[in-house]
Amino acid sequence: MKEIVQINVNGTDYEVAVSPETTLLDVIREELRLIGTKRGCDAGDCGACTIIMDGKAVNSCLVLGVEAHGKKITTIEGISNGTLHPLQQAFIEKGAIQCGFCTPGMILRAKTILDKYEDVTKEEIKSELSGNLCRCTGYTKIIEAIESAKDIIQGKKPEEITYAPQKSAMDLSVVGKRLPKIDAPDKATGRAIYTDDIVLPNMLYGKLLLSPVAHAKIKSIDTSKAKALKGVKAVLTGADVPDVSWGTSPPRYDEFILAKDKVRFVGDVVAAVAAIDEATCYKALELIEVDYEELPAVFDPMEAMKDGAPRLFDHKYENNINTRVDHHFGDTEKGFAEADHIREHHFVGNRTYQNPMEPHVAIAEWDRHGRVTVHTSTQVVHYVHHQLSRILGLPLGDIRVVMTHCGGGFGSKAATNYLEILSIFLAKITGQPVKMRFTREEMYLYGRGRHKQYIDLKIGVKKDGTITAVKQKVVLEGGAYSSFGIVSAYYAGSMLTTLYKMPNYKYDGFRVNTNLPPSGAFRGHGVPHPRFAFESLLSMIADDIGMDHIDIRLKNAMVPNYRTCNDLDIGSCEFTACLEEVRRKSDWDNRKGNLPKGRGIGIGCGGFVSGAGYPIYRSKFPHSNAIIKIAEDGSKAVLFIGDADIGQGSDTVLAMAACEAMGISFDRISVVSADSDITPIGFGAYSSRVTLMGGNASKMAGEDIKKQVFEMASEILNVDAGQLQAKDNKVFVKGDPSVSVSWQEAAARYFSLKGPLTGRGHYSPPEGLGGTYKGAAVGTSPAYSFSATVCEVDVDLETGKVKVLNFWDAHDCGTAINPLLVEGQVEGAVVMSMSEVLMENQVFDKKGKLLNADLHNYLMATSADTPEIDSTIVDSYEPAGPFGAKEVGEGATLPILGALANAIADAIGARVYELPITPERVLKAIQSVKNQKK
Amino acid sequence: MYLKEFKFYRPGTLSEALEMLSNAENGALKAGGTDLLVEMKKGLRSYSELISLTDLAELKEQNEDAEFVRLGAGLTHSEILDSELVRKYFPAFAEAVLQIGSNQVRNTGTLGGNLCTAAACCDSAPVLIALDAEVEMMNKKGTETIALKDFFVHNRRTVLKKDQILTTVVVKKCAPHTGVHFEKFGLRQGSAIAVVSVAALLTIEDGLCKDARIVIGAVAPTPMVSYNAINAIKGRPVSDFYEKSEILLAAGKAASEDSVPIDDVRGGAQFRRNVLNTLTQRAILTALRNCNMQNTQT
Repeated sequence: MKEIVQINVNGTDYEVAVSPETTLLDVIREELRLIGTKRGCDAGDCGACTIIMDGKAVNSCLVLGVEAHGKKITTIEGISNGTLHPLQQAFIEKGAIQCGFCTPGMILRAKTILDKYEDVTKEEIKSELSGNLCRCTGYTKIIEAIESAKDIIQGKKPEEITYAPQKSAMDLSVVGKRLPKIDAPDKATGRAIYTDDIVLPNMLYGKLLLSPVAHAKIKSIDTSKAKALKGVKAVLTGADVPDVSWGTSPPRYDEFILAKDKVRFVGDVVAAVAAIDEATCYKALELIEVDYEELPAVFDPMEAMKDGAPRLFDHKYENNINTRVDHHFGDTEKGFAEADHIREHHFVGNRTYQNPMEPHVAIAEWDRHGRVTVHTSTQVVHYVHHQLSRILGLPLGDIRVVMTHCGGGFGSKAATNYLEILSIFLAKITGQPVKMRFTREEMYLYGRGRHKQYIDLKIGVKKDGTITAVKQKVVLEGGAYSSFGIVSAYYAGSMLTTLYKMPNYKYDGFRVNTNLPPSGAFRGHGVPHPRFAFESLLSMIADDIGMDHIDIRLKNAMVPNYRTCNDLDIGSCEFTACLEEVRRKSDWDNRKGNLPKGRGIGIGCGGFVSGAGYPIYRSKFPHSNAIIKIAEDGSKAVLFIGDADIGQGSDTVLAMAACEAMGISFDRISVVSADSDITPIGFGAYSSRVTLMGGNASKMAGEDIKKQVFEMASEILNVDAGQLQAKDNKVFVKGDPSVSVSWQEAAARYFSLKGPLTGRGHYSPPEGLGGTYKGAAVGTSPAYSFSATVCEVDVDLETGKVKVLNFWDAHDCGTAINPLLVEGQVEGAVVMSMSEVLMENQVFDKKGKLLNADLHNYLMATSADTPEIDSTIVDSYEPAGPFGAKEVGEGATLPILGALANAIADAIGARVYELPITPERVLKAIQSVKNQKK
Repeated sequence: MYLKEFKFYRPGTLSEALEMLSNAENGALKAGGTDLLVEMKKGLRSYSELISLTDLAELKEQNEDAEFVRLGAGLTHSEILDSELVRKYFPAFAEAVLQIGSNQVRNTGTLGGNLCTAAACCDSAPVLIALDAEVEMMNKKGTETIALKDFFVHNRRTVLKKDQILTTVVVKKCAPHTGVHFEKFGLRQGSAIAVVSVAALLTIEDGLCKDARIVIGAVAPTPMVSYNAINAIKGRPVSDFYEKSEILLAAGKAASEDSVPIDDVRGGAQFRRNVLNTLTQRAILTALRNCNMQNTQT
């Protein structure tokens, strides 16, 4: 029974009829429609739903609406009255906002901290903020922003920091500037619309029935009771949907819309319901009767490969081997024969999950003309578009895919998902819009996280440290379906060659199906575990031959314009500068070997593609495309771009590239991105591709505009267009800036005389990238990033607990279009990787049920775990990139694993070869060394 | 993840609450709800009636007499942290409470709720047990008092009867020259769950450890007193307490032998024993240091 609850929210009194089981979060979001309060976990672990109640921060998901009666509540919408609160201002300016999903809760919690403690220290902020998880920023800029807001509130003048520009950005007026993100004000005020914030008229909700068993035949499904439940509008099973298989990579389309005859993991999708609300959906799910005949299941990839092991697919993937890679470049036998020292070791990775703060949501709606629109939280509008077109048998033009603001992805939203597909089918059958959303648990079960990899690595070197041969065997634990796995298996091998020159290299890859949630593409896609193994083994070898860990890397460091043994073409490369920079700023030469007991220091390196050289399916479309439209009065530009801003800041970066190309300032542009009806196709945010590819397309569109503006300006100024230059909203004669016309005037005149002023741009990677062998495409890219990181840790030798003190990082991302955002990417990558190395791991019981499918037991680093991070962008220029730019997003994660593992090894005098490096494993390693010495 | 329907009651007095509780068919008391609501959303528990304790002023009381401090079970963790009585008499308890969950959780979660949830890894119990705390449980018939150490039966099970409400935690003020400390080992720096915890209390007289309590957490189905660790240090001269001293090693070993940990996602049993051994020694030394500091102050 509903009762009337009186609450004061943001100064306004409300009377709301509330059922006892409705949480305050739902009252705020669904009844009052204050959507700035976010739902991240629904279990009090993430803090995204933080509000202030009677002066105290609380998780509104754990307060009953009826208990808020008589309370005074402040949400993010209530802390600014026209002008921004100092915290909002500081979050925007300091780059503390990426995907923005944690931002409202973070700002409100910060407000209660500053309200209570006037003189709060940095360490106290870090500890007080630990109930608010952020997956993007690494907390560093958030903490900086709170300190800065404290100063603003106390009337202190914030410290002015001057930043030296990169050489390649010296003469540019927009590119190279530390500009706040274009969407940051909306995110700081809670106005940014994420998919779950959308409520359409007459909208239904949908939920999925997931398999409770790991491997079984479906003997029968009875949906009659569920269908009979009041409020249920549709129930679908495998029999009701087309018999079409789908997936991510065309050679491995092996998923069904709903299970056909068989389930392959706990979480496999069996049925879907639509009803008037979510509670009714849940009740209906309980009424669906499925008769399973359980089959033997296999969870370990080594077991799964054995003859006679249970098979997930009867007619393909023999021995459950889903992908087999067999690569040999040069002659490893000869290479090892030439080596003075050879060492090999076995390494094991961990099964980790991206955990973007925003759960996946999709809303589908059909119109009367047979077109369907899907709003979804995705990284890849076009691939969703393409896949839906395949599944539905409709041309692209009859499907509209709209990405709203996306609360982080990291690979978890880099492919089509069940919500997108099934919301469409449910909406079709009911004739009403349908919203479907994952709970945090369902996100883990949908999976597509990092493949756990079992790695055997062997490296041979000369006395002077020169690498002569490398051999790697990797078994990737793939889970039940392919997802991105075929690509992951290739990446795990191909990317070892880009950092160090290696003439001879052999790679054996096995991606193996198991009865667990599918593994997919997680930041660094397939590469972090091999890179962890390589960086660990290289440091071990350096110790063996008495060489400094940085020296051995310098000895083998990649150089510009080099073709690797597996036919990858390295362009710009400032790897050596990265190594020298971290050596200098970490004071490596003085610290290494001279730290007190329990302290350790280590180096790790990394690098990544700046966008995959080839699309995921065979397509001739340019990879990124841009249109710029100038307002008729010439005052503003709008950039239409298909690539997705998932929090990394691509809208900002691409707009900056466009502004620089046009010669206008950043305040004269806005961006519309990732809407298949409105924006031209872009392959989206994956493989660290957007800055380079979307940037080139945006730059080209900007140049197209500039050309047309020059045409007009040349008439106005009566000079040849070839003599003109545009900068800071002015068009002027090169060498004589006094002869000028305002950019706006020239653009307005163009429109008056010639109609719409639009610019077009597109980008495709150079044709024929890479070699001709099977799988040669994976690893190709127009450009490669490089990075080096030194890490310092303090280990409690009696408990094994690791405290990370410092990361000194240097990254070669070419020209940093926006150094503030590059730093944000590095800091976020550092903390995410550190978290993966130290604490993240999915644990299953003997029947394949995930035991830690929440944020309570699957641990991620909090603000309190954040180390000091000192990141440098080295001088570099990449000819293939816009204004010399290349990637940072994924490459920045790669050095962290090795650096941290090497620092821990240095601290404890022993090595942990398996991730995560938990205190338990650290103690074991210490103990085993002690036992050896006895 | 959703809350199934239930009836919600909001009693204004303790006696009303007891009446509602005894009338409820399948009812539960709801304090802060930070554990209860999560478990209900996950479908691990289900109730047809929830009786809210949040409005009961009687459960928010805190006062002292010559010997005892009485803390209402309805005080939130944040209220405990703000309590002058707690800060004055039991600073180590405040330190333990500060390590419960996040600020948001501490702002709604309550002392009574934390004890009644009775998780083996509960952060508030070990120090309170070390302080010889008692709890008062009330039903319509009257009040029953029991030592907190006897309150826990098993992981997530207590002696509290269906018709009883935990109303008050009674904590005895410490004897002079007493030092207390709580050590917690979690897997991250913030919002961590205890993998091992130890509370130590030492009373020093004439250079001897006259009295001691060692309570270990997260290493058995309930927080428990490690009598063997106590015996290892009780009566021993203070001069024998230093890092890695024979006595401390013995106490650490004894605590670890008294424990009955399990393997779970947070760590293996043997690892827990090892860490417990170390933590026990550290807790004892810090408690002793706290005791000395107190002496220099007085």
